[in-house]
Amino acid sequence: MSSRFAEFKKGMQPRIKELKFTLSKIKSSTLSLIGLALIATFTAIAILALTRTLAPPKMYDPFLIPPSPTYTREPKPPSPEHPFGTTSWQTDLYYGCIWGTVHAFRLGIVILTPILAVGLAIGLIAGYYGGILDEILMRFTDIIMSFPSLILIMALVVAFSTVRLPIIFTGTSRLDAAVLAIILVGWPGYTRLIRGEVLRLKTEDYIEAARASGASDIRILIKHIVPNSIYPIIVVASLDFGTMVLTAAALSFLGLGVPLGYSDWGQLIYQSMDWISSGFAYWWTYIIPGLFITLYVLGWNLLGDAFRDILDPLYRRK
Amino acid sequence: MGLKEYIIRRLILLIPVVFGVAVLIFAVLQIIPLENRAVIYIRNPRQMQNIQDIITRYGLDKPVWEQFTLWLNEVLHGNFGYSAYYQKPVLQGLLDRFPATIELVIYCAPLIIFFGIWLGITAAVNRDKMPDHISRVLSILGTSLPSFFFGIILIAIFVAQLKWTSVGRITNMGLLISAMQTGKFHQYTGLMTIDSLLNGNLALFVDALSHLILPIIVMIFIQSAVLVRVMRSSMLESLSKTYIVAARAKGLSRKEVIYKHARRNALIPVITLSGLIVGGMLTGLIITETVFNFPGVGNYAANAAAHFDVAVVVAYAMFSAIIFVIANLIVDVLYAYIDPRIRLG
Amino acid sequence: MEQENLVEIKDLYLNFYTYDGIVKALDGVNLDIRTGEVLGLVGETGCGKSVTSLSALAMVISPGVIESGQIDFNIGEESLDILNMPERELLKIRGRYISMIFQEPRAALNPVYTVGDQLTEVYFRHRKDELIEKAMSELENNIRKANGLKRSTYKNHLSLYKLMLKNPKSLKLRLALKIPIIRRFQNRMKKAAEKEIIGLLGSLRIPDPARVVQMYPHELSGGMAQRIVIAMALACNPFMLIADEPTTNLDVTVEAQILQLIKELREKFNSSILYVTHDLGVVAEVCDRVAVMYGGNIVETADVMDLFKKPLHPYTHALLESIPRPGKKFVSIPGSVPSLINPPPGCRFHDRCRYALEICPKVKPQLIEVEKEHKVACHLYYQES
Repeated sequence: MSSRFAEFKKGMQPRIKELKFTLSKIKSSTLSLIGLALIATFTAIAILALTRTLAPPKMYDPFLIPPSPTYTREPKPPSPEHPFGTTSWQTDLYYGCIWGTVHAFRLGIVILTPILAVGLAIGLIAGYYGGILDEILMRFTDIIMSFPSLILIMALVVAFSTVRLPIIFTGTSRLDAAVLAIILVGWPGYTRLIRGEVLRLKTEDYIEAARASGASDIRILIKHIVPNSIYPIIVVASLDFGTMVLTAAALSFLGLGVPLGYSDWGQLIYQSMDWISSGFAYWWTYIIPGLFITLYVLGWNLLGDAFRDILDPLYRRK
Repeated sequence: MGLKEYIIRRLILLIPVVFGVAVLIFAVLQIIPLENRAVIYIRNPRQMQNIQDIITRYGLDKPVWEQFTLWLNEVLHGNFGYSAYYQKPVLQGLLDRFPATIELVIYCAPLIIFFGIWLGITAAVNRDKMPDHISRVLSILGTSLPSFFFGIILIAIFVAQLKWTSVGRITNMGLLISAMQTGKFHQYTGLMTIDSLLNGNLALFVDALSHLILPIIVMIFIQSAVLVRVMRSSMLESLSKTYIVAARAKGLSRKEVIYKHARRNALIPVITLSGLIVGGMLTGLIITETVFNFPGVGNYAANAAAHFDVAVVVAYAMFSAIIFVIANLIVDVLYAYIDPRIRLG
Repeated sequence: MEQENLVEIKDLYLNFYTYDGIVKALDGVNLDIRTGEVLGLVGETGCGKSVTSLSALAMVISPGVIESGQIDFNIGEESLDILNMPERELLKIRGRYISMIFQEPRAALNPVYTVGDQLTEVYFRHRKDELIEKAMSELENNIRKANGLKRSTYKNHLSLYKLMLKNPKSLKLRLALKIPIIRRFQNRMKKAAEKEIIGLLGSLRIPDPARVVQMYPHELSGGMAQRIVIAMALACNPFMLIADEPTTNLDVTVEAQILQLIKELREKFNSSILYVTHDLGVVAEVCDRVAVMYGGNIVETADVMDLFKKPLHPYTHALLESIPRPGKKFVSIPGSVPSLINPPPGCRFHDRCRYALEICPKVKPQLIEVEKEHKVACHLYYQES
């Protein structure tokens, strides 16, 4: 067992070298640095919130914004008790935005993990084994991808609202419905992506060589195919961390994502809709949560682009 | 294989895809318990009182494939059910709202495409200079900024503060309706901008246009972002090819080389993207129309969704999918038309 | 016999400004190409031969910049200063007086246009007046024979063509070119162009030219594509043809055919050919004179026979030695091609040269005529000075 580990470490050496090269490339581009800084800031905010240093939760569900004792409708501007001001019904924007950060990260992880697991597995199998299995799986992904994603997600969420879903992802059934819908609609994209890579790699000589030397299918998949097909996945996944949040925010904006009073940037903006007719008078109700979303997505977009720029020559080299 | 054969082949392939769409929608419907699902079949609210009758009529207690055939039959006859929220048959509700959305799309779509392509080419030809930096900022912002946030900011500035226009389709809908009823205003196309001109009402034309401007700006900004980036990188790649050097060596001017030789090759991946842009527009409409309270199908579906009106949302999903699929078909045909390697290879 | 210099490249310095540094690609290149000769430009990959040949067309691929130097193009009485000409004027020279063929023929053709489109393009660019006149004379003929509606249509077309000839920027003409049905008057001109290219392809012994003209580049074989590219280059009877490794990517049998073709063309058209290659075998077969290039400099020029019999420069010597021959031990040149970002000082070959003198790393040798028609840039031959 330990000799296997030593072999593993040795095999990783060139990859570690490439990782170091990648990191140095990231350092040299301004846009990627901005992206990195943004994500680092958001991560820090999330960690501070989780360790109860920043905006300590007061309810059983930390994502629910603690209601204010004064229950007036009109938003109040930023003040010492409410550093970002309040929105309708005195909902504290500060709490909402901070825990909204945690919520955003959680969404990314909770959504992308199943999508990657399912999507990549199906894509690898379909691509590697081909034949009828591939045809059937591809028809299936084609059909799902015939729908513009948000629309199918909406239909699923509305359908789920009529049944009682077992609570698995988050603590809330409505959010769970949204998460499940996004997962169900999101996996085909990754399947297609990795299947394309597998098809391309299948014809490479070293795969043939491995097979000729008697390596089992699983071994070939894990040792040769996955490491070489992972690069575009990394790029798309980091972009998706941002896109998923946009999708979820759009759902919340339409009233479909989270229950009322949740710390969700999309919902905060939804609540600000009542106040935009007064122009800039209540600017904090929409500008602040809006900035949070934009900068979060921007950070992931820039990082994803940085990965693409870096991995592209690496990828082409292979 | 010539272009005609390619088109026919793709059209034939369309059928299983559309069938698959119907199957998926039906599968989604199956999630919903019987009582709620019944609403998909009825034509008027009184039928809801006799649920058992609906169940037997449409086979909701029968095996899945029989249900599917009965449901498909209804759909093909235009029966998409009844909307509990809007108190109207679903298909009629959607059709009523259709012209408004068409009007929006007719102005948006060509603007998105021409703007995106133009900016992408300009950025590529002026690499690392000002136009390139502007395009990069625009495309990064366009993919990061949520469309509803952008819309809200525009409303706050132009509607609330500057009061240049208002949300909705025209300022005074009531006035228009009464004018239509008294016969003073004839509806020819359902498109406000065109109808107003045909009726000689310039004030209404300006009004309608001013209400379209902000939603159009939001749509263009968001939808062209990806287009600009792809066009730019595709153009850069095209410009680095040997046939460009060869074209210059033939004595062709820079303009000819860019617009005749580089551009057509660069457009090829961009055309594939256009199909996705249609999909993006279908989604973007939902949000943009809601933000601007524009009475189109997107708004219709969004409100229905917020009130959990299954029938409308499902119907909208089906229509969107079919439009999306047809758009991709057109894109594939265009692709084959422009790139001879596809249809001959 | 004193031959004229068609193209004279004098002291050409060219740098590439890259992220990794400034690549000093051309370090004072001096080269003369004479009327009617085939000059071989030999060197390893990266020595600057392609860059030099492109410079003759004043075409520099970014991020390259010509730092200094002069290129004279002598036609008849005139001597044109290529590097200082305005772009407008250069467009008249490229493809017409000097044209180029490329290493990868299918890459040199645009995949989305037919072969015919790309060939007629050259005609329309440089010989449009001829085409217009042909169309006009055809029309004049038809006018005499026809009457009624046809006659007036022909007369209209004729007037449009006359306008094209005399006043190409006139508003009437520009409008006519935009309106769909009226635009069709150009078809006559296009057909005339097609006839010309079919004739040209025939003279290059391309089988079934009428069918080839409708094909797309990806449908052609490598050899066929290269013939098309050659046809494009010769469409206007250029004074000089630049051939940038035209047979490197072709099969040996196809290569032989193309070389044969080039030799025939040279006789038929009396154009000069600048033949860029790394293959000394090709040089021996096709060229009259040879220039050897290393690290951005011309190190030796001579008649082909003289070069092979008596190579003067150590690099040339090593190149000839390294040609594999049966029975001979395989010899290669020690060291590797230098980085041109930090080139070796003095003579750029000194660190790989087995005859290097003390002066070699200090002073760059100039190209000096040591024997009749045999120049070399090497300190070994400077005993007199």
